[in-house]
Amino acid sequence: MKPQHVVVLVAAAAAGILSLGLAQHDPQAALGGASIPADFMLLGTGWALIVCGMAAWVRRPGSRFGRLLVAAGFAWFLAEFNNPGVGSTALFTTGLVAYAVCPVLVAHAALVYPGGALPGAIARTGISLGYASTILALGLVPTLLVDPVSHGCSQCPHDMLAIASQPALASVSSVAGLDFGLVWTLGVIAFALVGVARASPAARLVVAPVVLSAAAYLGLVAADYGHSVGRGFLSTDALDDQLWFGQAVALVALTLGVAAAWARARHARTTISRLVVHQAESGGEGGLRETLAATLADPALQLAYPLRDGRYVDASGRGMELRSEPGRAVTPLLRGSRTVAVLMHRADLLEDRGLLEEVGAAARLALERERLHAEVRAQLEQLRASRARNVETADVERRRLERNLHDGAQQRLVVLALAMGLLRPELEDEAAAELDAAGLELREALRELRELARGIYPAVLTDEGLGAAIQALAEDARAPVIIDSLPTERLSPAVEAAGYFLVAEVIRRAVTSMVNVSVRCSEGRLLVELDSAGTLSGDLVDLEDRIGALDGDLAVMRSATGHTTIRAEIPCVS
Amino acid sequence: MRIVIADDEMLLREGLARLLSDAGFDVVGKATNATELLRSVRTTSPDVAIVDIRMPPGNSDEGLVAASEIRAAHPNIGVLILSHYLESNYAMRVLQEHPERVGYLLKERVSDIAVLADALQRISDGECVLDPTIVSRLLNKPRARSPLAELSDREREVLGLIAEGCSNNAIGKRLFLSPKTVETHIRQIFLKLDLDEQPDSHRRVLAVLTFLRA
Repeated sequence: MKPQHVVVLVAAAAAGILSLGLAQHDPQAALGGASIPADFMLLGTGWALIVCGMAAWVRRPGSRFGRLLVAAGFAWFLAEFNNPGVGSTALFTTGLVAYAVCPVLVAHAALVYPGGALPGAIARTGISLGYASTILALGLVPTLLVDPVSHGCSQCPHDMLAIASQPALASVSSVAGLDFGLVWTLGVIAFALVGVARASPAARLVVAPVVLSAAAYLGLVAADYGHSVGRGFLSTDALDDQLWFGQAVALVALTLGVAAAWARARHARTTISRLVVHQAESGGEGGLRETLAATLADPALQLAYPLRDGRYVDASGRGMELRSEPGRAVTPLLRGSRTVAVLMHRADLLEDRGLLEEVGAAARLALERERLHAEVRAQLEQLRASRARNVETADVERRRLERNLHDGAQQRLVVLALAMGLLRPELEDEAAAELDAAGLELREALRELRELARGIYPAVLTDEGLGAAIQALAEDARAPVIIDSLPTERLSPAVEAAGYFLVAEVIRRAVTSMVNVSVRCSEGRLLVELDSAGTLSGDLVDLEDRIGALDGDLAVMRSATGHTTIRAEIPCVS
Repeated sequence: MRIVIADDEMLLREGLARLLSDAGFDVVGKATNATELLRSVRTTSPDVAIVDIRMPPGNSDEGLVAASEIRAAHPNIGVLILSHYLESNYAMRVLQEHPERVGYLLKERVSDIAVLADALQRISDGECVLDPTIVSRLLNKPRARSPLAELSDREREVLGLIAEGCSNNAIGKRLFLSPKTVETHIRQIFLKLDLDEQPDSHRRVLAVLTFLRA
């Protein structure tokens, strides 16, 4: 706590005790009357306002709210100072000038809560007029124009500022001040209530306790003004005393409202800390986002982590874009000067700034941890993407080769066969026989080319899909291929190729052993299950590469009886 | 017989045209892609169109698509598809849509005018033709347990010829059997394989093929 805070607290204590003393000394002139509850409320309300204001000032030095509340607390005590028994002329004169300023300070504070500035020109004008009316019309002008000593108050100290004796004018000013004050307080109440009604639910929750308490207080002030208009000045009859008591209660409620907001934020921090610890212990990716979304009541909440290269990724390492859409806001959560994570959330959460800060603080460690994980996953993702590109390049090349074979060598041999067919009728028996022999060779060559082309990349895979290609494999195999299920839909070329080459390789290695093939697409994944009575020697590294590049899994299980089962799962985004 | 030839390979197109005209066919149109083919068929009204499966611009299955269009728009015009692909998928696709007046042969058959002429004649007569290599591949596919094993050798031969699209007469001629014997064999085969006998030869091709592909 800084020295200035200590000074303020000491002054507050002094002011409180002084005003209590004054009340005790002259109960008639005291604002609340002379009862114990009134004394209690006198001290309690004033000190509550000052302490609460101090706490708010320390918590958020940039906001005016705290200082205004402290000032209101002092103004609350000050209202007692125009009591004859005060002794000091300085204090008495100050009391004469500033006795009515408390409501304006409270109104100012309530409209400013929880930030620092008044909302709009209307509010600024209204508050300025309030200060003018209470300080000038009700306070300064009568003080200048009337010295109570010379107008019936023999025990009163002197009014230091009295420069003339114009009771009539003073009265006019006073009445004007009261009339205006009545209208003014009602106006402020209306303005404040409209503000609360118009606010978003999140803001309303924060602001309502304070504003509504202030409105109640101002309502009672208005009642007092209304009651006083008849006589032309504020005073302390029985009704005034009761209204004062009500005002005291309303002001205490206001401080409780401020405290409640702090308690809520603290509770949120505790809840989040607990949830975050729980989530950290139970592991799981993306759990932190769920925790925060639940706590902040924002199901569409998104968490983005910054990578060293400037990109943003989510918890699983996938790239994310920082976008602010209407109704949503982007808030970085910092640790020192470093951004640990970025929150994309409902815009109205910004109005409860304290909540976002609490959230950030509580989750900081878990966020840091998730960010590191996200960075690792992003790197893995880049690796996988590069692998996938390699496989794709190889496949594109394969398809090109097959096409070249088809359009090139195979076509040429057919033309050759045609030419031989055209030649044959013109030849004699012997030559014709030789031509026939050559024709046989040619057909063999064509057959071999066909096999070669199919082994490089089967056209039926591109044209008709994985199901048809596997059926074609079965037609060609040396051992029975039992097909249990085949996919009916088309998938992306990379996925179809991976599935095809896996099945083709297994059938090839099974040689003369039977193979059971089951391929189906379920819940966005291609499931390949191959069962063979043979041992299928050798590794499947190339296939693992293909399948890994697509973020899939391959598992080979060899039983003791020489049975081999191969299972692959590939995510298919068709 | 009037023929239109569609193939993007010039030497093949011209060679085939010469081979056919030497054998007495009337080559009334030549096309290099699917669009030209359809136009040529429309304007010249041939008896059969010979189509390469793979043509520009996509170089995948334009020929098959064009064949379907021709059969749909001109029921009296037959189509013979030539392809390098042995896989029964392509043949099935064609036959499933239009089982009659359609043929599927491996391209290398073009060297044998006898086979070609026979295929064109059968297509023009309303039957369907399937390359023997494809059929024998299907017949000889290794199977675990199959009613096919219960067929005698003769019955297997007959089944193969059925799958190639031959009529009963053609089967009888090929195997030197009387029509009655052929009919008996066929009845036995269909009984053993638990298939319904089909009225037309082209529909029974489909039935047999479906059975063999399973």
